[in-house]
Amino acid sequence: MATPHFTVHQPATLEEALDLLGRHRASVKLLAGGTDLIMKLRGGAMSADHLVSLNRVGGLNRINYQDEDGLVLGAGARISDVAAHPDVRKHYPALAHACSVMATTQIRNMGTVAGNLANAAPSADTAAPLLAYRGSVVLVERGGRRQVKLEEFFKGPGLTVLEPMEILEAIRVPVPPGRAGSSYLRLSARSQVDIAAVGVAGFLALDLDGCMMGVRLACASVAPTPVRCPEAEAMLEGQRPDPRLLARAAVACVRAARPIDDLRATANYRRAMVQVLAGRVLQKCLSMAQGGAQ
Amino acid sequence: MKNPAIIGASIPRLDARQKVTGQALYTDDLTLPGMLFGAILRSPVPHARIKRIDVSKAKALAGVKDVVTGADTPQVKFGNWRLVPDSQDELPLAVDKVRFIGDEVAAVAALDKETALRACSLIEVEYEELPGYFSVEDSTQEGAALIHAESEGNVSLARKIKYGDLEAGFAQADYVREDTFRVHAVSHAYLEPCSSLAAPDEGGRVTLWTSTQVPYIVQCLLASTLGLPENHVRVIKLNTGGGFGGKMELRKWEFCAAFMAVRTGRPVKFTLRRADELASGRRRHGMPIRSKVGFSKDGLLMAKDFDVLLDGGAYNSMGPTATFLCGNFGAMLYRYPAYRYLGRHVYTNKPPAGAMRGFGAPQALFAAETQMNMAAHDLGIDPIDLRLLNAMETGDEIPEVATISSCGFKESLVKVRQMSGWDVKRQEKKPGHGIGVGCYSFISGGVFNWFNTKYNFASAEVRVFEDGTAHLLTMATDIGQGSDTVLRQILAAELGIGVDKIRLTASDTAVTPKADLGTWGSRVTLMAGNAVVQAAKKIKEMLIPVVFGHFDLNQIHDIAFENDRVFSKARPDKGFSFGECVYKALKGRRGEPLTAFGAYTPRNKGLVSPAFSFGAQVAEVEVDEQTGLIQVHKMYTAHDCGVPINKMAVEGQLEGSIHMGLGYALMEDFVMKDGRTLNTTFLDYKIATAQDMPPSQSVEIDTYEPEGPFGAKEAGEGLVSPTAPAIAEGVFHATGYRCLDLPITPPKVLQGLGRLKG
Repeated sequence: MATPHFTVHQPATLEEALDLLGRHRASVKLLAGGTDLIMKLRGGAMSADHLVSLNRVGGLNRINYQDEDGLVLGAGARISDVAAHPDVRKHYPALAHACSVMATTQIRNMGTVAGNLANAAPSADTAAPLLAYRGSVVLVERGGRRQVKLEEFFKGPGLTVLEPMEILEAIRVPVPPGRAGSSYLRLSARSQVDIAAVGVAGFLALDLDGCMMGVRLACASVAPTPVRCPEAEAMLEGQRPDPRLLARAAVACVRAARPIDDLRATANYRRAMVQVLAGRVLQKCLSMAQGGAQ
Repeated sequence: MKNPAIIGASIPRLDARQKVTGQALYTDDLTLPGMLFGAILRSPVPHARIKRIDVSKAKALAGVKDVVTGADTPQVKFGNWRLVPDSQDELPLAVDKVRFIGDEVAAVAALDKETALRACSLIEVEYEELPGYFSVEDSTQEGAALIHAESEGNVSLARKIKYGDLEAGFAQADYVREDTFRVHAVSHAYLEPCSSLAAPDEGGRVTLWTSTQVPYIVQCLLASTLGLPENHVRVIKLNTGGGFGGKMELRKWEFCAAFMAVRTGRPVKFTLRRADELASGRRRHGMPIRSKVGFSKDGLLMAKDFDVLLDGGAYNSMGPTATFLCGNFGAMLYRYPAYRYLGRHVYTNKPPAGAMRGFGAPQALFAAETQMNMAAHDLGIDPIDLRLLNAMETGDEIPEVATISSCGFKESLVKVRQMSGWDVKRQEKKPGHGIGVGCYSFISGGVFNWFNTKYNFASAEVRVFEDGTAHLLTMATDIGQGSDTVLRQILAAELGIGVDKIRLTASDTAVTPKADLGTWGSRVTLMAGNAVVQAAKKIKEMLIPVVFGHFDLNQIHDIAFENDRVFSKARPDKGFSFGECVYKALKGRRGEPLTAFGAYTPRNKGLVSPAFSFGAQVAEVEVDEQTGLIQVHKMYTAHDCGVPINKMAVEGQLEGSIHMGLGYALMEDFVMKDGRTLNTTFLDYKIATAQDMPPSQSVEIDTYEPEGPFGAKEAGEGLVSPTAPAIAEGVFHATGYRCLDLPITPPKVLQGLGRLKG
């Protein structure tokens, strides 16, 4: 492919960034880690005359956890920094795990979690755990801010509710309750350095009677967008954990999947693997919650 | 004579520092004044007649300096098998027909890459599509259109081998089984994509810098396709980032660069992109392999019938050699009283298959070794015991084909059994865990002169100087395997001087002695090594008289060359430094430099190879029976490569072979639809990463190959073969699922276990 030519703008504030977006609205893209964007520009899958970089915008790379507000990840927070952050590892281990196994070392060092979400690949590894943790995204434009639940954010492969002049400023995740467990498992043909062919994340907490509450299950790479599994969640909510029930819920997760055959796996294999991974994720969540760990 | 300080030492590559610091120059690093950038227009359809090509818009684009199509070229067919002109089925650019998606149709040279690519998109080609055939079964069916008019039913060549009484063998056998295996095409995935730069030279000559395994072959075929005398073409190989068989022919961009350099009077460079390499580059032959084998009830081999269809893609490439070797390796390793082979090389409308590490052996040995494991299971004999019962030994003859002059196969089996803890792990099986064995043999270069060279197969020139240094000139081609280091070790050991005292000039066809057939078939250490030894011995013959004369030695003395000295073995004080000895010889020759030529051509070595390597490998695997994922926990290898010249280099070859074998066994595969390759990036064409690599334990069996330099034979290629059958047997041992069609993917495992519907 021919080398693309474009102008890169490096604003220092969010306001400046929004102004630049407006000024070059005819042909502009936002640049965070660039690990997807630059490949698309080079490959000719996308074109832009202007790139507005978020890399020098003050405060955007923050990773901040507080016991009242939960976790805030700025749009510039690098995947590898999120994976290594002690608060993320302690309170959101499934997210930390996703951030430590996805892509490659080089991509994790450059790429951002916000970019992973805004890129809206069906296989986005951070999306499934963030759905399980009830994450939402903060979107900002010149008129103001809005907060959108992650499950309402994705619209299709590469499509989100982001308006053309809007910037994904931050990701917010609530504080998980005590006696909780969470997990993210993924499969790919190669043990590492690969895109997930199937990914499943889960979260659950136990109440004082030992019943499951706040159950969330989400899958990646098995539908046009990362998806929740509402039927399976409903089956488990308020119930005592029982191996047969967990197995039935894992089967129910398959019904949330709408996989296709592609280069990485067949739809058939993906469906079967959603069940296997969901079963394992639920087991892991349960033992973590019962063990009281994290 | 063995010099343990040099032969068998672990000497790091002499070019390692340059490479890891980025100073080493590869072809694409070169820029010449006035250089143009080339781009190639490829066929978008798998099989079609070209009705019309219009290049006028491309020519009119600003910055475009030349556009060529097949009509502009001399239209001389080429191919490596010059001995059989009918097999030469390629043209430098398509004329009349295209035969696969990616077939080269036209080329552009322009001031920059972008313009060259844009000009390609402005070339109008009208195609009349013909039926496309994407499997050997389809293209050989009754009434299929011919991809090459000259072929019979799209079979470009057939090879037969027959010895012993096959019918009697099967009749007397107590146990006979017949299976069909399917092996797939994979990519060489060399890290340096092909790159070629040509510059016009005075007198209508041309110089080509190119990423190649075969400078001499490129020189000859480029000359014939350009219509120039052979020595008007100079081919220079710089550092080359791997080849694995994918760079052992004249390639079309090499022709286009040279052709357009002559036409425009300017240098022209072509560099392929990874997507070009994966979409239309050479690959390993896929094959259906039908094998019937008979044993006595005690496990002795009685007869084998081996029938193979090689999926050659659109052109012969190195297919004829792969067809020959596939038949050879169908019956290597063991004593077969009767054997019949029929190999047919079949055209399909896919990117041509060519030489690739193992050259027919990985496919034949996956089938043969897997079938050996299946027979062991049925006969109730341990797979290693069954192999020991039938294993070849030193001195064995393959009728009319070869004599095995050294063979450490039995020792390899015994050793690998012991080091892997085979007997215990085979008996005390843990759920999901398995252990399997696979073996190999390979050639140390080919005997058959398919290129029909008039020169020696390998040559070397050695010059020695009065400062105690030497200069080695050879056309032997280091493409990353380390021959530049190993050949200097051989010369250093022979002359008794340090490796650091040797300057090397390699792979420049205008400077280095004719000829060397290049890097393929694991030929370089043995053949070029022997040429170096011969040249060095001639130099020694020039120096020895100097010592005798100067010290007035009795003729019974023997002269040693060690530690940069030349001296009497019995009276080490009678001698002088290597440099001084050269100085004195030079005086006696009144200034005529001491230069010697050495060569090697195998003679009276049968039809296949002067020497064969052997080995056995064990894989320990774990299979997740719910997901089908396979993890290889450890590889154990015992192998016989003769005397290793450089242990570190041998170890590197072993690691690289396991890596490539692992990818072949488990994950590498071209996803094809109607002749189009869909996975054209390393994200979707999955080669194993360093993180997939299992730990490895290995041992070299102590043998001495009389035909090799210092007893050495091949170590770079055969080792790629045992990994897939060893892993497949490990998976069977772990789960009961027997894979007969590579690669062993998780869905296949689950389907095999009845846990997933097809």
